[in-house]
Amino acid sequence: MSKKLQGNLNLNTIQLKKGELLTEVEELCGENLFGCYQCGTCSAGCPFVDEMDLSPDEVIRYIILDRKEVLNSKTIWLCSSCFTCAERCPRDINITKIMEALRQIILRKKIDRTNIKNITKDEKETIPQMAFVSLFRKNVG
Amino acid sequence: MKLLYYPGCTLKTSAKNLEKSAFAIAEKLGHEMVEMEDWTCCGVVASLTDDDLMHHLAPLRNLVYAEDQGEETIVTLCDMCCNTLKQTNQRVKDIPDDLETLNSFMDRENDYKGTIKIMHFLEFLRDEVSFTVLKKMVKNPLKGMKIMPYYGCMMLRPREVAIDDAEEPTIMQDLLKALGAEVIDNPFKIECCGSYHTIEEKTLVSNRAHKITNYAIDRGSDAIMLSCPLCRFNLDVRGKEAEKIFNNYKQLPVYYYTQLIAVALGLDPKFYGFEEHVVDPVLLLKKKGVFEK
Amino acid sequence: MPLKTYDKKKDHDLGIPLEDDYFYEEPEEIIENKDAPQLESTIQTVTQRAEKIKKRVINADVLVVGAGISGMQAALDTADKGYKVVIIDKTSTIGGAMVKLDKTFPTNDCSICTAAPKMVELSRHPNIELITYAGINNLQGKPGKFKAQIWRKSKYVDPDKCTGCDDCAEVCPVEIVNPFDEKLSTRKAIYIEFPQAVPIVYTIDYDACIGCGSCDRVCEPEAISFLEKSEEIEVNVGSVILATGFEVFEPTEMRKEYGYGKYDNVITALQFERLLSSFGPTEGKVKRLSDAKIPKSIGWIQCVGSRSEQLGFPYCSRVCCMYATKEASIAKEANPDIDITIYYMDIRAYGKDFQQYYDHAKDLGVKYIRGRPSSVYENKDKSLTIKYKDTLTGEIKEDTVEMLVLSTAIKPNEENKRLGEALGIEVDENGFFKQQELLTDPIQSTREGVFLAGCIQGPKDIPDSVSMASGAAAKAVAPIKDRERHIGKEFPPEKDVKGKKPRIGVYVCHCGKNVANYLDVEKVTEEAKKLPNVEHAEHIMFVCSEDSCKKIKEAIEGKKLNRIIVAACSPRTHGGLFQDTLMEAGLNKYLFEMANIRNHCSWVHSDDWDAATEKAIRLVRSSVAKARGLEALSEEEFSIYPATLIIGGGISGMKAALALADMGIKSIIVEKEKQLGGRLTNLHSMFPSDTKTEDILNPIINKIKKNKLITVMTDSELDKLEGYIGNYKGTIKQKGKTMEIEFGTIIVATGFREIDLKGKYEYGKNDNIISQTELETKIKANKLKEPKNVVMINCAGAMEEERPYCCRVGCGVAIKNAKLISQKYPKSKIYMLYRDMRVFGKEEEEYFAEVLKKHHVTMIRYPGDKKPGIILDKKDPKKGSVSVKVYDDILNEEMTLPADLLVLTVNTEGGAATEKLKNMLKVPVDAAGFFIETHAKIKPLDFSTSGVYMCGAAHYPKNLVDSIAQAEGAASRAAIPIAQEKMKGEGIVSEVNEALCRGCGLCESACAYSAIEMKPHPQDPSRMLAEVNRALCKGCGSCAAACLSSAIEQKGYKSDQINVMIAALCEKGKAK
Repeated sequence: MSKKLQGNLNLNTIQLKKGELLTEVEELCGENLFGCYQCGTCSAGCPFVDEMDLSPDEVIRYIILDRKEVLNSKTIWLCSSCFTCAERCPRDINITKIMEALRQIILRKKIDRTNIKNITKDEKETIPQMAFVSLFRKNVG
Repeated sequence: MKLLYYPGCTLKTSAKNLEKSAFAIAEKLGHEMVEMEDWTCCGVVASLTDDDLMHHLAPLRNLVYAEDQGEETIVTLCDMCCNTLKQTNQRVKDIPDDLETLNSFMDRENDYKGTIKIMHFLEFLRDEVSFTVLKKMVKNPLKGMKIMPYYGCMMLRPREVAIDDAEEPTIMQDLLKALGAEVIDNPFKIECCGSYHTIEEKTLVSNRAHKITNYAIDRGSDAIMLSCPLCRFNLDVRGKEAEKIFNNYKQLPVYYYTQLIAVALGLDPKFYGFEEHVVDPVLLLKKKGVFEK
Repeated sequence: MPLKTYDKKKDHDLGIPLEDDYFYEEPEEIIENKDAPQLESTIQTVTQRAEKIKKRVINADVLVVGAGISGMQAALDTADKGYKVVIIDKTSTIGGAMVKLDKTFPTNDCSICTAAPKMVELSRHPNIELITYAGINNLQGKPGKFKAQIWRKSKYVDPDKCTGCDDCAEVCPVEIVNPFDEKLSTRKAIYIEFPQAVPIVYTIDYDACIGCGSCDRVCEPEAISFLEKSEEIEVNVGSVILATGFEVFEPTEMRKEYGYGKYDNVITALQFERLLSSFGPTEGKVKRLSDAKIPKSIGWIQCVGSRSEQLGFPYCSRVCCMYATKEASIAKEANPDIDITIYYMDIRAYGKDFQQYYDHAKDLGVKYIRGRPSSVYENKDKSLTIKYKDTLTGEIKEDTVEMLVLSTAIKPNEENKRLGEALGIEVDENGFFKQQELLTDPIQSTREGVFLAGCIQGPKDIPDSVSMASGAAAKAVAPIKDRERHIGKEFPPEKDVKGKKPRIGVYVCHCGKNVANYLDVEKVTEEAKKLPNVEHAEHIMFVCSEDSCKKIKEAIEGKKLNRIIVAACSPRTHGGLFQDTLMEAGLNKYLFEMANIRNHCSWVHSDDWDAATEKAIRLVRSSVAKARGLEALSEEEFSIYPATLIIGGGISGMKAALALADMGIKSIIVEKEKQLGGRLTNLHSMFPSDTKTEDILNPIINKIKKNKLITVMTDSELDKLEGYIGNYKGTIKQKGKTMEIEFGTIIVATGFREIDLKGKYEYGKNDNIISQTELETKIKANKLKEPKNVVMINCAGAMEEERPYCCRVGCGVAIKNAKLISQKYPKSKIYMLYRDMRVFGKEEEEYFAEVLKKHHVTMIRYPGDKKPGIILDKKDPKKGSVSVKVYDDILNEEMTLPADLLVLTVNTEGGAATEKLKNMLKVPVDAAGFFIETHAKIKPLDFSTSGVYMCGAAHYPKNLVDSIAQAEGAASRAAIPIAQEKMKGEGIVSEVNEALCRGCGLCESACAYSAIEMKPHPQDPSRMLAEVNRALCKGCGSCAAACLSSAIEQKGYKSDQINVMIAALCEKGKAK
């Protein structure tokens, strides 16, 4: 039994190229997830782990076990690509790229995480531009 | 020396003060920052999927422009621009096939030959100017100021494009020492400020700002020095908002390293650009007697 | 005014010979304060040295490079066979890394206490020339004819004159960081590495010395000699053994996130060993470096730099789990209030008794948390906060400890690359030395005649290093086997003490702090002095050190002592050493007595100073009482039959036979099966090189068959055995026939077998549930059908109440077989259910990581208390698919996996013949049926019964590489008595008083060693009389205890001797 995840994607609509989540993720990120020893280094060092429903090492575990519900995890959107996990991983697995691969699987189905319309005028005027470009790159397909 | 300067979006909008102060100190040091012609947005975040070359186009195009302008080095002020440009540069160096694809895709531009080196302005100060030289030019040492250097992510990771050690960087503390300040170390100096979550997850970013700053406060720090405009916004603005979440919490003033150099070199205050900051940066400088205004 | 000036020649350490190490500008000034005769002697010295400019040449048989535990073992094993050995070490002493350790796992034996006797034995061995502070620069020639160039650095101290008094170090003004204490302390520019250093000669650290001359001025024996030059020595040998050891990773450049070098209280595990050590910087007290406070909590982080594909080394360092467990247990036992946590990924408690040791640590209260911390930061009070994920609960946590220990990786010696070039041998990508054939010839380097021992080709624990070192000694003898051998040591003629008044010398040992910290050694010495016949008594830091033994010899001469008592530790470990000392001084070795005031006193009464002191006084008094009546005893000499019996014709037995044959020694292999090959016959291939078993076995079997020195007896078993070391007679049963054979030594190589699961995991009930061995047999016979889902369950029948041990090989075998299935059927999905992945060491870890990545084996960790459950198909329980219910420890959820092939990694036990052999050989066996060695650390191949040795899985399951190293090691051990040709029996044997003997025969039946036979009385044949075989008698005393008429007594332990001891022990009145 997997954890309850927050997202409300209909996983049946997410068609994976080779039917397997793992294959698609590995193709997108070029990382070998099976090298993972489940040591938890990535999770312990993640600045956003407290807010995540699945910790980064659990994300890897879910992919290995081909649990597509990982795509409904809040975790992949909380990752800000700070590369701390990738820097420290003893197995040299770039978890940052794995997170990006999961986001891309969704975004490439034209499913946006962020609704641009919800951004207020005030936010547009005060927040640095670079934040918006990043957000759109990360959350909008 | 002429420096080809790549600004990026934010330096022309909410981080004009970073640009202004950097230009002023460059001039003081005898260098001229020349803004690159025709520059475009770099895309801010590097493309991280292997099959995605499209998002390398924007950074690459800027590298081509630099080559066109007969330069070998681009100097950047924004951490994220620096990171993104470096990552693209690295990728086309590592995978020549990708460079070929990208070159053939760019119709109007020349081919990128791979000759450009991207340099963070901090790197330039350390490696080309040297902090020792800088130290000799200090007029108003930041005496009595206990400052925590904050690095964030983009100048340290990934390792391939870092300007210093990913776990124990020293570039900012070395600079601070040269300016005469006391350095307060902080293990969270290399942790993410919350980045673009500042738009949709404001509380989360306020929490980050609090966590990072609170350790520094606990160690007696009275200011933060950083480099990235988004880090500045998050620690300064979201940090200020954190005062409403955490009892008795008071956000520390946040400075760009360029501003502190400008102060220490005794440049005209018009170059400081403190007005855009939320937590008053002037008060502390006055209190410590670093400058009087 | 500086007395001396000199030019420092920068290339001193590079080993380039220099004209003069010190260049005197003003020679007059050097000697200004010395009087005329000294001036002359200096000139004389200069002239003598000038004459000696010609290079020193040593002709020997074997050169050993590196004198750590491996190098020492290799040297002793070779020298004991009568060959001349030159052993060099780059430091100024010997002992290597082992002497830095406090205790050793899993027996908690004191490390220096087990290493020191070997160090002293080495330095005293007549066949060994020890050259310290030296390195090898070049090796030319071929096996049997090597020429090595040795560069010996000058110590600037005359070894013959230095007494090791420490006066020089006291006045030396230079303090430098002490590498021996892992930078935790400082030492002077003139120094010895540690108190028990061998040789006990001070060394001037050329690079640190400021040339002030203080040491020279205070040195009474005038041992400081600035004129002593470094020299090049040419060594001609037949083979070379390399044992230069390892280094420990210091996380200053990589893995900075743990704060080593930044935070005071983050230290490496080797530094922690030095804190624990009695002769370490804190004299055995664990204190924080920041404030010398005793920490209330300590954390250990495992795999710092190990198992790391980035920022570290890809291999497993093999010993860290156990040393961390040991260090944590010692700290916890010393102070149960201390909070101790070990953060780990897999606990690799793979060896003999390791799992039990780990379980014991948990019982002591050591907490183990599965999670690799991401970073560490320091708090205001200098405590450290560790960020980690407890992967078994899923919680992200921060723990704060007052001290943090990093279990850092073992890495190859920095110097290996240079050394490899100098010796013409290859190093691998990490810098470890390469083997010619990893799988079948692990001791052979890439150059013929050069052999590897210890950690130089990958991390290893002490027993594996020692086994390999013995193996190297066997291989090194091959090229020189026909050279002249030199056996035994010439001792001066024995003084006759018969009828002379006893003059007793008493030496009380501090044993570092082991004794001196718990009782008053001063008082014990004073009390001893008051006893009648005691002519001399003193207390010494380590009586076993070389200079102390020298003192004893001098006292025997000078004070005419004729009985010596050492009050220290156990005669079992140190008796022989002191007896040698006596013999060197011309005393019969049985005029020696030991009072065990450590094991029997200070250790057990550590909480009561006064009582312990009183007991020690009495123990010494009692020994003195006995010593008065000690008499000189003689030893029986007997010859050794030059052949070895090898029981078991598996890979270990065969490799042992070949190693013996290479040394020119005959052997007989007795194999119960029809053919040679043992377990390998049924297996498919061996990791890590995936070599097919037939490709391993066939060449070896062919070699055996062709070798005239090896007799093979298949379908055979040893049925009866009589005799003793050197003179065995065995009855072999072969296909109903029996025959008698003779041999001098025995090697047990009976291997192991899978245990009977007795129906656990539904084994035997369904055709799709098989063991790893059955799987391999199937694959080998090409009978494995394509499975869709394969589930492997590791640790079946292991690490539970009934069988608390780990089988050591299971994880490796399972991973190899997963690869085999995946290679044949790439579509098969493979799940591996494990408890800890114990793919220890270099090759196994790297192999494991590669299989995971290439073959996508899904790993599922299950907790020991929630074993996987098997559900058989209801309709077709015998042939249908099964499903496995497993609790995933990491995701904390139960999952059900379908399996059309379920493979059980079954625990192992000793071979079938164990029970019978145990009684026949009179050797001990543990609960799992594995033979018990003499000493878990430094005598892993010997039995306590001399002449019998073991190797391979009979000792404990082990992989092919370790088995072969052991087999060659056992061959080396078994060859020693044969090479010596003659041996001496015990002096302490039983003696029959013919007048009192009633001939009842009680003693005969009491004797466990068949040393007593009832024979008719020569004068009165109607009367029976007991007769003792002096060669067989072990002096155990059972006969004496059994005899009703006190007619048989044990020499050295006669009733009257014992009685006076008891009386002295019970003597009333507290010591004044």
